[in-house]
Amino acid sequence: MTDRSIPAGDLAPRGIYPPTEKMLNEPVPREVRERQEENLRRAWKTPEGWRYWTAVNNSEVGVWYTMTAFVFMLIAGVMALLMRLQLWVPENDLISADMFNQLFTMHGSAMMFLFAVPMFEAISILILPAFLGARDMPFPRLSAYGYWAFLIGGIFVIGSILFSAAPKAGWFMYPPLATIELGIGSDIWLLGLSFIEVASIAAAVELIVGALKCRPPGMRVNVMPLYAWYVLVVGGMILFAFPPLIAGDFLFELERSFDWPFFDHTRGGDPMLWQHLFWIFGHPEVYIIFLPSIAIAAMIVPTVARRPILGYSWIVLSAVGTGFLSFGLWVHHMFTTGLPNMSLGFFSAASEAVVIPTGIQLFAFVATLIAGKVVMTLPMLWIAGALAIFTAGGLTGVMVAIAPFDWQVHDTYFIVAHLHYTLFGGMVFPVIAGVYYFFPFFRKKMLSERLGRWSFWLIFTGFNITFLPMHLTGLLGMPRRVYTYPEGLGIDWLNQISTVGSFIVAAGFAVFAWDIVRPKKDQPQIERNPWGAGTLEWSHEIPETKWGVRSIPHITSRYPLWDQPKLVERMDQGRYYLPDAEEGLRETIVTSVIDARPIQVQRVTGPAYITIWAAAFTGGAFILPTFHIYGPAIVSAAFAVVCILYWLWTSTARPPEKDMKDVGLGLSLPTYAAGPQAVGWWAVWITMLGDATAFASLVFGVFFYWTSNTAFPPPGAEHANGYLVALSTAAFAAAWALTRGARGLNRAGRVGLARGALALAPLLTLAGMGGFILSVMDLDPASHVYPAMMWALMVWVVAHGIVGTIMQLYCLAGSLFGKLTPRYDADLWNVTLFWHFLGLTALVTGAMMGIVPRLM
Amino acid sequence: MERSDQDRPSHPREDEHEFAEERESLWRITLGPTIWAFHFLISYAAVSVYCFKFERMFSMGVLRIALIAMTVAMLAAIAWIGWRAFLRWDVRDTGEFSNPEGSAEDRHQFLGHAGFLLALVSFIGVVYDTLPLIILGTCR
Repeated sequence: MTDRSIPAGDLAPRGIYPPTEKMLNEPVPREVRERQEENLRRAWKTPEGWRYWTAVNNSEVGVWYTMTAFVFMLIAGVMALLMRLQLWVPENDLISADMFNQLFTMHGSAMMFLFAVPMFEAISILILPAFLGARDMPFPRLSAYGYWAFLIGGIFVIGSILFSAAPKAGWFMYPPLATIELGIGSDIWLLGLSFIEVASIAAAVELIVGALKCRPPGMRVNVMPLYAWYVLVVGGMILFAFPPLIAGDFLFELERSFDWPFFDHTRGGDPMLWQHLFWIFGHPEVYIIFLPSIAIAAMIVPTVARRPILGYSWIVLSAVGTGFLSFGLWVHHMFTTGLPNMSLGFFSAASEAVVIPTGIQLFAFVATLIAGKVVMTLPMLWIAGALAIFTAGGLTGVMVAIAPFDWQVHDTYFIVAHLHYTLFGGMVFPVIAGVYYFFPFFRKKMLSERLGRWSFWLIFTGFNITFLPMHLTGLLGMPRRVYTYPEGLGIDWLNQISTVGSFIVAAGFAVFAWDIVRPKKDQPQIERNPWGAGTLEWSHEIPETKWGVRSIPHITSRYPLWDQPKLVERMDQGRYYLPDAEEGLRETIVTSVIDARPIQVQRVTGPAYITIWAAAFTGGAFILPTFHIYGPAIVSAAFAVVCILYWLWTSTARPPEKDMKDVGLGLSLPTYAAGPQAVGWWAVWITMLGDATAFASLVFGVFFYWTSNTAFPPPGAEHANGYLVALSTAAFAAAWALTRGARGLNRAGRVGLARGALALAPLLTLAGMGGFILSVMDLDPASHVYPAMMWALMVWVVAHGIVGTIMQLYCLAGSLFGKLTPRYDADLWNVTLFWHFLGLTALVTGAMMGIVPRLM
Repeated sequence: MERSDQDRPSHPREDEHEFAEERESLWRITLGPTIWAFHFLISYAAVSVYCFKFERMFSMGVLRIALIAMTVAMLAAIAWIGWRAFLRWDVRDTGEFSNPEGSAEDRHQFLGHAGFLLALVSFIGVVYDTLPLIILGTCR
């Protein structure tokens, strides 16, 4: 019997852990096993017919995600071919200058935002749970929502080129070109990609929580697969890299839609702020793309070398170190903007320093290969190609990191060559290696060895034929992004070679794509562990089952399939944890962060339409403003909120039917968690860290204008109303205190008082929002960047205030309708956490609007 | 010295309890790079603000000396962190360079090793980022 006086989130696991050898040897009777399998099969059944698209399981969503990103990549590749055709001869008139601008802008944007980053998320959603012996990711519906958002946003952005309405100011959208650009191209870029960035952050939250909390019992941080380490690092990087771009997009779109002059120097703005915000995102992004791809290499190399990886800690150092250092590189994209030389020096130095951790992991791979007995499988061939090409790109990287050299080659084809070497070597080749390696895992079929080798040699040689000459083209002075060039500069033949090479690459991709989609019905059933790997994903069942793992194992080694001899047999027989689903619910085990001790049974969500609706309405909220349709956009946003609330209310943090559940091997785990024990709390914490970063970018903007502008705020400028700002800040602080108080009161059983606090708090929040709005009413945001910045801060805090109010009311409703009780209070913990951040945001906003400008 | 926690009963607040036990090492593995980040940020911000706002008020030499003094302090801090992590790694006593097993002791030493290596890389990073302060003398 559980003690009803303890809050459900505070119940401790009971029973025996870790399991003894004797317990693991105990056989499971056949009829029990069959009943369990039946239960599991029912719980994890994939919906059929047209309901198939309501699936949220990582094995479905991951495949859709991967294939969608791949299709976007092929489309962006065709754009590159068109550009190469245009550059085939001098003075060519195949494509107009305007269309050429659209093509290179979309090629870069699509490859970065619709292929490279989503591909990381897609592959991780697909394979991370299997690495960790988990049944699914902690928030399957969030993955599905992210996918649908990505699909809608991606089609919107890439489809614009069919109407000749695509963005055309280059993939980094520099103002003033992009701000004065007529047409809706820039808006499509800003709003469409912001929408997709939201999906990226959702995926980052999912993956970080997955790697931290959904590991199998016993898998401590020092034995988790290196891929999980990389996912952690990259997830963290996304949280600090994407928000500055979102803040930048926010300012940029305000300028495009309402003429607030953030980047217009005639009214105090500064285009350099965009460059900073863009590249604070843009450079780490290169590593966000590179690290997870090289993580695939970290999984393949030990398998082909038939030995554990050498230098596990060194690779962890490499991933974490690169993650940090990559944030100190952004100005090396801005060496020619006239910043003080000493500032350039810092970034130049950091750009050289990042080579150390980046190089270490490559040496660790090579060392592992030397120490092992290498079997040159197809995936290894692609990894070898990756190492060769990436090293070449790294070497030119060291060159362009030196400012004076960069001044010579900035914006020439040398840069085009450099970045394609790093991205093909650092991303495309390892990802294709991963596709060959993991295909038997996620499709239960093998890809063709013969086609794979053809594809490799076509892409590898074609790539070098295309991009190696470009170094010279650039050194001879051909700038990037020109739609044509005059005869007689000595670059005609180089361009022709590149064009020929690009079609060889395309042929290679055609072979690869055919290999993936060709029918494989007649192929014999594959071996279970075709590469003889040591990591947990190869315990997958053949033929395919949808439950992930039959039972969740106890892991004590980095290569459990090599080191724990009876593991797979025991997993299959259901001798480990959670071998059953008697309640018919989808479940997985949540473990502690460092030592992976089992702490909870997490019920995960199943198929639903609501995620599709939520994504569609969120899409409307982002896409309609592109066409300056604001009314319906607001309605769409409201519907999105309703959908998300319905989704949360019906399927998250519901009081369970029983507090403790027997998970097998003599262990009982709680079925409910609140506060730092709960995966939901971690998700809120991680999301808000990203949100705080975006807000910090806005605050950075204020100080940036102060340093870059001789008069910020301009002399005699009107400030925001000080009294109103002070009162609003106080109102927010009081709303925060009431929310926090409600949590304590509710826990203490004083439900009436807690409800009172939760009813009063939204009123105070509304008052605070109203006060902030009124405080800037007298300022004209279109007149100068200073009032515009004050308005932007106000919009930010009010938007968050609306969310905060909804959350308070959600908890109030939860309390009134029995979803939230003194024993089951996870929602209130999460909302309080949100409010800690919102309280701080309001406090800083108050200071930025009321105090700081008066001191500047 | 065998440090086994295999048999201890589950703690009701498992995560907080574990963090308390291993808080120092977990914190330490990112502490070195965090110091690097602060060093980088402070140097860059100070030079930018100086060059745009205060170039006429005082000479760059003052700023450079202040920043180099900060560098020395930060390098000392990283070195100390690295040394503590090295002790945790305990390679001289155990002779184990890699800690691939699933025991609490291995996890403990692994975190020490990772922290030590990260301190090393952060130290080099800070030295690199100080070179412009030593080599260049003006804003232009």
